[in-house]
Amino acid sequence: MNRRLSQLLVLLMLALLPGLVTGAAAQADEGLPAPAQRAAYAQIEGSGSTWSEVIVQQWISDVDALGMKVTYNGGGSSQGRKNFAQNVTDFGISEIPYPGVDEFGNADNSNGREFAYVPIVAGGTAFTYQLKIGNELVRNLRLSGETVAKIFTGQITDWSDPAIAKDNNGRAFPKLPITPVVRSDGSGTTAQFTTWMDAEYPSIWQPYYGRQGFTSYYPRQGRMIAQSGSDQVMNTISGFSGNGHIGYVEYAYPINKDFPVVKVLNEGGFYVEPTQYNVAVALTKAQINQDKASDDYLTQILTGVYRSTDPRAYPLSSYSYMIIPTGAQDQRMSTAKRQTLADFMYYSLCEGQSKAGPYGYSPLPLNLVQAGFQQLAQLSTADPAVDLTNRDVTKCNNPTFVAGDLKRNKLAEVAPQPASCDKQGEGPCGTETGTGEPSTDDENALETETAPAKKGKKATAAATPTTPPDSGGTPTGATTIDPVTGEVVNPPAGTNVETVSDTGVSGEPLYATPTELSAERPMDSKAFGWLAVIELLALILVPGILISRRAGRNGATR
Amino acid sequence: MTTLPAVDSSFIDVPEVAPRKLARKASGVDRVFELTASAIGATVLLITGGIGAFLAWQSVPTLEHYGWSFFTESAWQPEADSLGIGAVLVGTLSVAAVAMAIAFPLAVLTALFISEYAPANLKATLISLVDLMAAVPSIIYGMWGYFLVMPHAAAFALWLQQNFGWIPIFQVDSDPNAAVWDVSRYVGSAFCAGIAVAMMVLPMSCAVMRQVFSQTPPGEKEAALALGSTRWGMVRTVVIPFGRGGIIGGTMLGLGRALGETIAVLLIISPDFVIKPRLLEVGTNTVSALIAGRFGDASAAQLSALLTAGFVLFVITLIVNTLAAIIVNRSRSGAGTDA
Repeated sequence: MNRRLSQLLVLLMLALLPGLVTGAAAQADEGLPAPAQRAAYAQIEGSGSTWSEVIVQQWISDVDALGMKVTYNGGGSSQGRKNFAQNVTDFGISEIPYPGVDEFGNADNSNGREFAYVPIVAGGTAFTYQLKIGNELVRNLRLSGETVAKIFTGQITDWSDPAIAKDNNGRAFPKLPITPVVRSDGSGTTAQFTTWMDAEYPSIWQPYYGRQGFTSYYPRQGRMIAQSGSDQVMNTISGFSGNGHIGYVEYAYPINKDFPVVKVLNEGGFYVEPTQYNVAVALTKAQINQDKASDDYLTQILTGVYRSTDPRAYPLSSYSYMIIPTGAQDQRMSTAKRQTLADFMYYSLCEGQSKAGPYGYSPLPLNLVQAGFQQLAQLSTADPAVDLTNRDVTKCNNPTFVAGDLKRNKLAEVAPQPASCDKQGEGPCGTETGTGEPSTDDENALETETAPAKKGKKATAAATPTTPPDSGGTPTGATTIDPVTGEVVNPPAGTNVETVSDTGVSGEPLYATPTELSAERPMDSKAFGWLAVIELLALILVPGILISRRAGRNGATR
Repeated sequence: MTTLPAVDSSFIDVPEVAPRKLARKASGVDRVFELTASAIGATVLLITGGIGAFLAWQSVPTLEHYGWSFFTESAWQPEADSLGIGAVLVGTLSVAAVAMAIAFPLAVLTALFISEYAPANLKATLISLVDLMAAVPSIIYGMWGYFLVMPHAAAFALWLQQNFGWIPIFQVDSDPNAAVWDVSRYVGSAFCAGIAVAMMVLPMSCAVMRQVFSQTPPGEKEAALALGSTRWGMVRTVVIPFGRGGIIGGTMLGLGRALGETIAVLLIISPDFVIKPRLLEVGTNTVSALIAGRFGDASAAQLSALLTAGFVLFVITLIVNTLAAIIVNRSRSGAGTDA
C-alpha cells in the first residue's frame, strides 16, 4: 500500500516536472524587456502631501485596473521630501520645492538624489469651519484675507468680532470662541498658507512668527489645536466638539465631508470660493519658473495669484508637485518601476485631469501638462528601455484645452463671474459653499456638472470618453461635451441649468442675533444631577435589597 | 538439625563496592537540547540588551548637547534647538495614571469574579473573552475611544469639573457653567486617552491576577468556609491576601503597557507640550505618541532626541516590568500567604 503510494507520488512528480520547467522558462521570457507588448510594471511607492492625496489616491485606484500598482502614504509634504531624499520612496509629492535649508537652518534637500519636479494638479487651500447657529450649520461665511490672518495669529478670538461681522456685510455671529486647527506635522498646506500671510499680511504674520518667511511647521499658540494630516484636521473640525473650529485644508476635504468653506475676499472685491474655475482663473497669474537649467524648473511664485484683481480669482490657489527620480544610477529605480511611474503620471496628467474638478481640485493648464511630459521624458533619458511613445498632450481630455493654443486655459475663460451678492458690501449670498458648484448669477454660463464621483461608483480608467473634444474649439453642435467629465451631454448647453446654483433666491441665509446667554447657575442643574445619581443607585440597589429581604423572611419562616 | 552448607567465600568474587559513575555532562540528545534552549534564552537577553545598548548609544549626542535640561524642558522645537521631555513625561504618567485608575478596580473585580464567583460552565467563556480583549489591535481601541467614547467622556469631564473642580487635577480652563459649554476644551485630553488605554491594560492585568487567585490553596479556602465564613469573607481573608503579589504584579505589568501605548493615544490626544496637572483639559502628549508622530519627518538631530526619549521610556518600562516580575514570582512561591 505504502509502496504503491510512493510510486504514485514519483509518477506525479515526473508528470509535473516538465510543467515546472516550462513555467520557469516563461517567467524568464517575461523578464526580458523587448518582446513584451506592454512593458512590465513593478510596484512603486510614494509619500508626501496630504493636500493632493485625495486626487492621487483616486488616480491610483484608476490605474490599478491597468495593472499598475502604486502605493501612496500621505504624511505631509516635509515627510514626502525627506523620504525621497533618503531613498525610501520612488516618488514624493510636495507643495513646495526643496528649500535647500529649512527656516531653522537644517538641511532640507534631496541629499544628492537626482530629481525633477512635475506639476500634478492645481487647487485651492480652503478654510473650512464648523459654526452653528441654533444647531444649524452656517454655510456661507465670508472673510477677508486680513481677518483670516488675524484669526490664525490669535488677534481675533471670537466669532462675534466686529471684523467678521463687517466681512459679512453687518451680519453678526454668536459669541463663541474661535478655535483654529493647524497642522502639527511638516506640511505643504501650512507652507502655502504662511507664504500667503507672509506676502500679504507681513505686519500680522511676522510678529506672531517672530521672523519673516514661511514655515512648514505652524507655530501653535493659545487655543489652537494641532493635528497631523489634512484628514485629521478635517475630522477635528467636523467632529462633535468642532463647533467654533476653523482650519485650512485643500478644498477636496470639505467637499468630501459636505462641509462649508470660507469665501475669501480677493483683490477684485469679491468673496470667492476655491472652485475649479476660480482656482484656474487665479493661477493664470502664477509665475512659473521657465528656466530649464534651474533646479526649481516649473516651480511657482504666487504673488501674482494673491493679488489678482480678477473678481473670480481665489487668492490661495497653488499647484502641487511630484518629485520624480531622474538619475540613471538611481538605486531604487528599475526599468519596470520607471515605466510604471511614467505611465501612472501619463494617466494622471492626461486623463486624470478631467477628474480634478469634481474632486475639489482644478485641472492643470495644458502648457504645464506638456512641460510635465517633458519632465517625464527624463525617465526615458535615464533608461532608454522606458517606452514613452505616443504621448500627445492634445489628445488628453483636459477641460482647459483650447485647440491650437496651449497657453490659453478654457476653464479660466468660461469661469462664471461671481454673483453680485458676493461683492464686498453686498449680500451675503444664501448659497451653500463646499459643494464644488460656482456661486454665480449667470445661469447659462456652465453646463451641468456631474456629481463628484466619490458619491458611489468608482470611475475607472476604462471609462474613457467616447469622443475627444473636437478640434473646432468651443462645442456648438447638437452634442455638447461636458468640459469637466468629457462625457457627451445630450441636451444642448443652456437648457440644462437646474443644478447651477442660483443665488440669493432660494437659499435661506442664516442670521444670528449675537446675544450672549448668561451662565447657568450651578444650583439649577446640580440638584437634578444629584437626584439622577440617587435614582440610578436606587434603581440598581432596591430590587436586590427587596429580594434579599424576602429571601431572609422565607428562610426565617422555614 | 540442619546445617547450612558452608559457603566457600573464595568462590564468589566480591567486587569492590563503588557507586555507579554519574556523568555530570548531558550527552547525546540532551546536550543538543540544552545547548539549543540556552542559546535561544540567551538570544532574548541579547536582543533586549541590544535594544537598550542601541538606544543608549544613540542618545549620547542628545544628552551631551542638552544635558539635564532634556528632562526638564517642556517644549519640543527641534528646529529652534529647544527640546526636552518634561511635558511628555508628565503626559505619559498622567495617561498611565488615568488608565490604571480605571483598569485596576475593573481588573481585580473581573479576576475575582472569574476565579471565585463565576459558574463553572461560564468560566472558560469568560476567560477567553478577556483574552480576546487583549487580542484586539490597539488602533481599534483608538477608534473606539475617538468616535464612541470621547463625546461621553467630554460630558463626564464637564460633570467632574462642575462637582470636583476644586481638586486641581479636575480643573479645566473654561467656565463649567456657561450656557453653551465649550466642548472643545474637554476632548483630546489625558483623561480621554486614559480610558482607551485602560481597556488595553485590563486583560493583561486581569489574566495575571486570575492566575494567581486560582493558585490559592483549596485547603485554606475550605478551612475558611468550614469555620463559617461567607464566600466574600473567604475571598477577603484567604484569596486576596494570597494573591496580593499577583495583584501588585499584574497592576505593574499593566502600567508598563500603559506607559508605552502608542497608536490609540496618538489618535485621541491633541498634541501639546505643556506640563500640566489638569487631566481633563484638551492637549497632552506621551513619549510614545511623540515618537510615532514625529518620527516620519525628523531631521538627524531630532531623530537622536526622539531615540533618547525612547531610551528613557525603555528604562522606565524595564524597571516597572522587572519589579512586576519579581513580585509575581514571589507571590507564586506562596510567600504572600502568611502576610
